Amino acid sequence: MKETIIKEAIDAMVKCNEAEAVAIMNRAIDEGLDPVEILSEGFSAGIREVGDLFGKGRAFLPELMLAADVMKSVSEIVDKAVADSGKQTEKIGTMVLATVEGDVHDIGKGIVASLIKTQGIEVIDLGRDVSAEEIVNKAVEYDADLIGTSALLTTTMGEQKKLEELLAARGLKGKIKTLIGGAPVTERFAKRIGADAYGEDAAEAVEKALALLHA
Amino acid sequence: MAVTHESTAGMGGIRSAGDLVFRMELQGMKINEAKKYVAEKLGCGIDQLADCAEMKDIREDLNIGTTQSRPNAGVGIQTKFRIAELLNIPINSVNKFKKEAGI
Amino acid sequence: MSKILTRYGDNYVAEMTEEEIRQDIEDGTLDASERAEIPTLTKEEVDYLYEIIACPQKIVSVEPGKEVVVSFDAGTLKLCVRNGIPMDRLQAILTQERALASDSIEMCHVDYSYKPIKAIIAEEKQAMEQAQLMTTLPLLYGAMPNMGLYTKPDGPCENWAELLPAGKIPEARAAQEEAIEHAIKDIVFVASNMIDSGADGINFDTVGASGDADVKASLEAVRILKEKYPTTGFEVGMAGEFNLGMHGQLKYDDEVIAGLYPHQQVKMAERAGVSIFGMAVNTNSSMSLAWNLARVVTFAKAAVHVAEIPVHANVGMGVGGVPLSVIPSADAVSRVDKALIEIAGVDGL
Repeated sequence: MKETIIKEAIDAMVKCNEAEAVAIMNRAIDEGLDPVEILSEGFSAGIREVGDLFGKGRAFLPELMLAADVMKSVSEIVDKAVADSGKQTEKIGTMVLATVEGDVHDIGKGIVASLIKTQGIEVIDLGRDVSAEEIVNKAVEYDADLIGTSALLTTTMGEQKKLEELLAARGLKGKIKTLIGGAPVTERFAKRIGADAYGEDAAEAVEKALALLHA
Repeated sequence: MAVTHESTAGMGGIRSAGDLVFRMELQGMKINEAKKYVAEKLGCGIDQLADCAEMKDIREDLNIGTTQSRPNAGVGIQTKFRIAELLNIPINSVNKFKKEAGI
Repeated sequence: MSKILTRYGDNYVAEMTEEEIRQDIEDGTLDASERAEIPTLTKEEVDYLYEIIACPQKIVSVEPGKEVVVSFDAGTLKLCVRNGIPMDRLQAILTQERALASDSIEMCHVDYSYKPIKAIIAEEKQAMEQAQLMTTLPLLYGAMPNMGLYTKPDGPCENWAELLPAGKIPEARAAQEEAIEHAIKDIVFVASNMIDSGADGINFDTVGASGDADVKASLEAVRILKEKYPTTGFEVGMAGEFNLGMHGQLKYDDEVIAGLYPHQQVKMAERAGVSIFGMAVNTNSSMSLAWNLARVVTFAKAAVHVAEIPVHANVGMGVGGVPLSVIPSADAVSRVDKALIEIAGVDGL
C-alpha cells in the first residue's frame, strides 16, 4: 500500500496535479501511513524529478512553479497532521538570495529562487544590485541559515569576495553559510574567496543548499 | 583568442579568401558549397582558398584588397565594387555608394 | 600510468590518465545524447577526439583545406573596451581586418542591446557608413535582443523573473508576451536602419538569454527583416544548449520554442530566414575539457547533420568547450576548434 501511494505521489507531482496530490496525501493519512515519510519519499522525490526535467529542457519554469504550489498544499496537510499528533514540524531553513551590487541580471537568480522554494526552504529574495552590507543585514534580520548570491559579470564577481570579507569582519563566517553562482563564477573561485559552496546551475544550487543545511 | 581561432582554424580573412567565403555563407551557403563557389569564381582550387601565397597573387591581380597598404591598390569600398561583381552578389554598401554618388 | 596534461572547464591544468580522459569523453557524449535524444559519437570519433585532446603538442590545428570562416559577437567591444586599448571602433575593425586576419567582424555599441540603440541610431548609422567606406571584409552590425530590458524598472513590462518565483504564472506569461512586441519593433527598427547604412548583415547575439520569449522575438524580427531585405544575411547566435522555458507555451509557427536543442533550434531558425545559425553550449567549469568537448561535439554534429544553412559553433569564453576564463588557454581553444571542425563538421566559428 505504502509503495503504491509513494508512486502515485511522485506521478501527481510530475503532472503538477494539485487535486490529485491533496487526495493522495489525505488517503495516506486516513490509512495510518506516516505523512512525513510520504512527503519525503513521494512528493519530494517527485519534485526533484520535475527539477531534473527542467534541467534537461523538458519542463519549464511555469511548471516548476505549479509543482511548488502543489508541494505547498501537500505540506500544509502534513503540517496539520503532525501538529494534530502533538509532534513539532521542523523548518528546513531560510535563505537570503540576491544579485550582487552593480549587477542587474536577475533571470538566473529567479530560477534559483523558484527551485529552492520547491524544496521547502524559505527564500528571502532581495532582488538585484544589492550591496554586500544589505545582504548581510537582511540575513541577520531574517536569521537566515544561508546566503545565496549571483554575479553574471566578471566585473561584479568581486562583490562575492567582499561579502565573505564582511561576514568574517562581523563574526558571522561559518554561522551563515554562503552559496555562490553566476556565469563567470567557478568552484575554484568559490574556494579561493572562502565561500561555503558553488552551484554550477540552478539544479546544483538546490543540491548544495540542501547539503549546507544538513551539514 | 581571435588570434588562436584564426591560426588554428580560420580561413585568413583578406590574407587569403576568408572574407569571400564568409560573404557566401551570409547568402546561406554551407562551408563546402561556399568554398566551391568562391574557388570557381577565382579560378583556383578549393585547397588554395586559405593559402596566403596563392591568394595574395590572386587578390593583387583582381585588385580586391589585401592586408598590405600599397599605393594605387584598391582599398575599402573600391575593393567591394569588384567583389560584388566577381561573386555576383549584391553588397549593401556598394549599392548605397552608387546611390549616394549618383552612379 | 603516465599522466596527460589537459584542462578543466575553469581553465586550470588537469593531469589525467588515458582511461580518465576516455571515460570523460564517453560520459560527455552520453550526457548530450540523453539530453537531446541524439546519437552519441561513434567509436572512431571518440578515438579521434581522444587523439586531439591527448596530443602532446601545445597547439593543434585543422588540416590544411579544412579551415572555416570565423564570425564574431561583441565584435568592436573586444579590443577597444574589454582589452582597454584606446582606439575607436573603426580602428578596431581595421585591426581585425588587416592585422588579425578576421573573416568578418561585427560593429556594435558598448550598450550591447537593441533597445538602447534606438536613441542613438543616427550616430550608429554614421559609424557604419564611414566604416563601410574603409573596409573590405564583411561588416555586420549586432546586439542582443535582451528582453530583460523591457521589464520594470528598465522598461514598461512587469518583471517575469520576479513574478514566476511568486507563483504568478499568468501574469508572468502576459508580461513576456507584451515584451515580445516591444522587442520585435526595436530590433526591426535598428536592423533596418543599419542595413540601410550598408551593413553586410545583422547579428543577433545570445538569443534566448531571457528565455523562450527572447527566441520568439528574435525569430519574428528575422522573418520581417528577411522579407524586407531578402539579400541581406542574418546571423542568430543562441544563449544555451536548449531554449529555456520562462513562458513555456510560446510557439514559432506551430512548434513550441522552449526545450529545443541545437539540432531543433537550427531548423526553426531556417524557417525564419536565418542565414547563419550560431549554436551555443555552455562549458561546465567543474568538468574536464574532455567531458565538455565530447558534449559540444555531440550536439554540434547533430545540428550540422540536419542543417541546410551554415552552423557556427560559439567558441567564446566559457562556451563551446572553451574554458570559462577571460584568458582561456590556447591549447584548450585550439583543441576545441579542431574537434568541432573535423568531427562535428561545423561551417564556422
